[in-house]
Parts: sequence; C-alpha cells; structure tokens
Amino acid sequence: MHLKNPLTLQNKGYVFFDSETMKTFISFLMNQAELIAAHKKGESSYVFRAAENVDEVILDYPRTIQPLKKFFLPPRETLLNFNLEENDFDVPDMETKKRIFFGVHSYELQAIHILDYNFKRGNPESNYLKKREESLFIGISYTPDEYHFGKSVGLEIEKTEGMCLYIEPMEAGYYMFVVDDNGLKLLTEFSSETVALKTETIKPQPKEFQKKIKYHYNRLPQVFDKVYDSSVWKKVSEKCVGCGTCNLLCPTCYCFDVRDEIELDTINGKRERFWDGCMLNTFAEAAGGENFRDKLHNRTRHRLFRKFKYITEHSGELSCVGCGRCTSFCPANISIIDIINNLIEEVSLNS
Amino acid sequence: MSKPKVAFFDFTSCEGCQLNKLNFENDLLDMLKLVDIVEFREAMDDTADEYDIAFIEGSISSPTCVERIHDIRRRTKILVALGQCAVSGGINAMKNDQPSDWVREEVYGDDKYLFPSLPAMPVRAVVKVDYEVRGCPMSAPEYLHVLKSLVLGRKPEIFDHAVCVECKLKENECVLDKGMFCLGPVTRAGCDALCPSFGQYCTGCRGPVSNINKNGTIEMLKAHGFSVTEAMKRMKLFNTNDMEKSISWGNR
Repeated sequence: MHLKNPLTLQNKGYVFFDSETMKTFISFLMNQAELIAAHKKGESSYVFRAAENVDEVILDYPRTIQPLKKFFLPPRETLLNFNLEENDFDVPDMETKKRIFFGVHSYELQAIHILDYNFKRGNPESNYLKKREESLFIGISYTPDEYHFGKSVGLEIEKTEGMCLYIEPMEAGYYMFVVDDNGLKLLTEFSSETVALKTETIKPQPKEFQKKIKYHYNRLPQVFDKVYDSSVWKKVSEKCVGCGTCNLLCPTCYCFDVRDEIELDTINGKRERFWDGCMLNTFAEAAGGENFRDKLHNRTRHRLFRKFKYITEHSGELSCVGCGRCTSFCPANISIIDIINNLIEEVSLNS
Repeated sequence: MSKPKVAFFDFTSCEGCQLNKLNFENDLLDMLKLVDIVEFREAMDDTADEYDIAFIEGSISSPTCVERIHDIRRRTKILVALGQCAVSGGINAMKNDQPSDWVREEVYGDDKYLFPSLPAMPVRAVVKVDYEVRGCPMSAPEYLHVLKSLVLGRKPEIFDHAVCVECKLKENECVLDKGMFCLGPVTRAGCDALCPSFGQYCTGCRGPVSNINKNGTIEMLKAHGFSVTEAMKRMKLFNTNDMEKSISWGNR
C-alpha cells in the first residue's frame, strides 16, 4: 500500500516582516476577522483562543493543550433544545463568522484535513462543516521538542497545504511566505499597495526531530497488518490508567457522546454532545451492559489501529500527525513512538 | 400522575450530603414540585411507611445500621446511595485498616463493649442499591440528574470515566504536570473537575473508575515523585474498601 505523498513548501514568494511590522500585521488581522492564536495558560501551557491584545499572541510554542478541532467540534455543544409538553424542538443558531487561525503548525492543518475527510464521508456532519466555513489558516514553523515526530508520519514542518500564509521566524524578524491567493490578498490589503514578492531561494535552518519511528511511514500500514495479537498491547496496558487524555487531546480523534438533560420543570431540556474517546470504560458498552472492549489493552490497540490502519485503509493517509500531544500530556508517561517502535521490533524479529 | 414519595435517611456520616440538598436554594422549590418528601429527619418531623425513592446517606457500620437498612429496603421501590460513605464506605472506612479493638477504644474508651461495631461498609454490601451518587460531598448536579431521571422514569446515566476527561474538556493545565499530586486520572468524573479547575488537586473523593489499574496508578504516582506508601495512603483516603477489600464487599 502506498500512502499519498504530502506536498511540501508550496509558495509564490515571500516578504520580510520585522517584529514591529508583524505586530501591526496581527492588529490588522484582528480588525479583519476574529483572530485565533496561541496564548499562554497557567504556568507553562498554551491554548488557542481569540486574540484580544497583540502582545499576548504567542508565536513560539511547542503545542497547545487542545488542538484546533475545538473550534469546529466543540468539547461540549448543544445540538437541539426540546420541549416535552409541546413535543417540539429547535436547533440553536450557528455562528459562521470569518475566522483567521494565526500561527498554527503544519500538523494542525493536516489534522483538520483528516477531520474534513471523515466528516464529509457518508452522512456529512453539518455542524462541523458549517463551522469550518470561512476559516483562513496562517501557518508558522516550529522547533521540534522531545515529543514532536511529524517527519516520521510524513509531515514536514514546512508543509503548507491548507494555509494561506506561512511564517518562518529568523533572527531579525520573519519571512512571510505567500501560499495561496487568499494570503496574497491579505498582504495586499495590509500594505495597501502592490506587494513585491521575493522569490530567491532561502534555506531556513534545518530542524531535526528528536523522536523518530524506525520505519518509513509508508511501511507502517504493513506493520499494523501483523500486530493485532502482539504482546506489546498488554505491556502498554500495565502502565496505562485509562484516563482518555490521549483521545481527547488528539487532533484527529473525533468521537463524541450525546446526552439529553432535562431541566427541573421536567418539560424543557437540551440534547448535548461532548467529546468521548475509545480509551474510556463505557465507550464500547452496548445495550444490556455488554462491553466489547472492556480491557485496557484492547482499547489501546483500537486507538492505535484507528490512527494507522482502519481509516488509513480508505483515506490513504495516516491519522496520526506527529503533534506528540498523546505522549506529552499522558500522566503515565506512555509514548506513542515507543509503542510503534516496539511493534516494529516485534514484527522484524518474527519475520 | 401523583408525585413520587421520597425519603432521606442518614447512617454513619457527617450528614453533609443531606445538608447539601437544603442548600439548593435556587432549585429547592422547583424540586418540591416534582416530589413529595415524606421523611427527612434533618428538615422535618413527619415519617412514612412506604416510599417510591429512598436516598441513603452514610456507611453501614453497626448491627443497628444493618437492621435499619434492611427495613428501609423492604419499604422502598428504588434505593439510591447518596455520597461517598454510602457508595464506598468513604472516609469512615479508614478504620477498616486498623485493629477493631483499638479503634473502638480510641472512640469509646472504657465503654467500648457497650457499642457494637462493624467495619464501615458501603450500602451495597448489605442490600441491593439501584443507583449511586458519588462524591464527598455528593455532587449536586449528579444528584439532580438522578432525581429528574427517576421522576421521568428514565435510567440515570452515571459516568464511568476519569476526572481527567473533564479537565481536558475544560482545557485545564494538568495538575500533575505542575508537580502537584492528583488522582484525576483514575477518579470517576461527574464533579466537572471542580478541584483541579480551582487550583487544587483531585483527592479521589468520588472513588475509582470501575476497573481501575491499581498498579499502573501507583507506578504513575511514583513517576511523579510519590513513594508507594504515600501513593497508597492517598488513594485510600476516601476509598479504603475499593483499594483493599473490593472483593469481600462484593464489587460489581
């Protein structure tokens, strides 16, 4: 099986921004639309949220807690309000305002691309697709930390597909690459004159990933053909406590549960959906209380197979984007890279 | 449709969960439109012979408790355990780890033989429990969910996933990552991650998820710098029965 080759650094040229110009540009964008960017939260964490103040926008960060999916598939979302007395319901109005996502990493875009694929197939997920409209993405390069492994899943830092602009920080400021016409339009509106794009080749400092999967990403589907009965799953489940953090923070996990909650008048209520995950106890529980994945090792296996096999078989792309969230936020220090490398080791020993 | 007859009973506990119900000032009157409260020692004098729903607070810790809970079970259609003492034995169960003689002497001194005592047990160790509302004190939203569901004849949906989930939904910074202690990864959700959302850590007051990986939990806490002794001690604070004697108390 051959996976699709992801495009890399497609651009129409670039301009140079010093730090002050960058701030002015961010202010300009904030006037154009709602600007979503990384912000500091707590002692040492980052989150995406709407920018209110240019100085609070963070351009250099390893990863946010929740991925971008929260803007299109919110952690909690009211699907409908109902009235039992009148036997009636209404669907809450959905906002479709223009949003610019600023300073996002290539894996976030790839994750959105995978979510789009899953939500467009079969019965299109209208709430998600509606919220996806009118989104512009401005990417930025990042320095891989001990958890990133984009390259191992075929995803370079400079992959610009889906972005309109791409930012490469440098010593005295930023290179602003124009990726598509939307990006060019933003730059033209910003400078209110014709933008002279430079096209001389520049070589940004190459950035090494510290974590690597032993095999080329093309071979991973073959590995997953052979590891259903691997002993690795049980070994992982000795450490795993089943908290579900890896699912909930995964940028390509999209499972949710739905619950009806009624008010104290026992007449009015709402149907709410919220993120769910296949690592959680009751995820695979069916009517009658039967749970067909009641053991942690079955659930871990299912999670990995959803990333490297089940969806990959029809999408032709891996569903893991190498952001490292599942590993960096795991309270039990379980590393997805270690799991995959252990599987590879077992496969190569047995072949 | 006549309103369901509801009663509240307290066993070995601080009665905080019961008192908590009287604190629902915004919802109390609406709640009274749904049900007839026929027995509630903390709030009224009346008593009744039969109930549709009996809410039980506190653990079973003496022969008298055993008699009373059997009597209540016979007279109620639905029985709900309210709060961690009733659900798991709660803090009371810490005594189960100590020699019974010593515990009784500490409490009653020379009169210890006048007060027969049992290990603190969850209600479900003695009679059939239909639903459980966890927490110390019980979670108010969960209690209202159970009450509304029962009034409507629906089965209440009680979460069996970790507090971690609620922290992640709220995008809280991880308490363990900050170097604090936390039992959120293995404690049952339903509190909306109240403590971690306000700068505290999860003490495990809602008890463990149903198939807790105990060794994994201890390894996890060790990796965050806690000794095995400390990890066990903290895990047992609200959940001695779950951690030590889950089999003998008939864990579901």
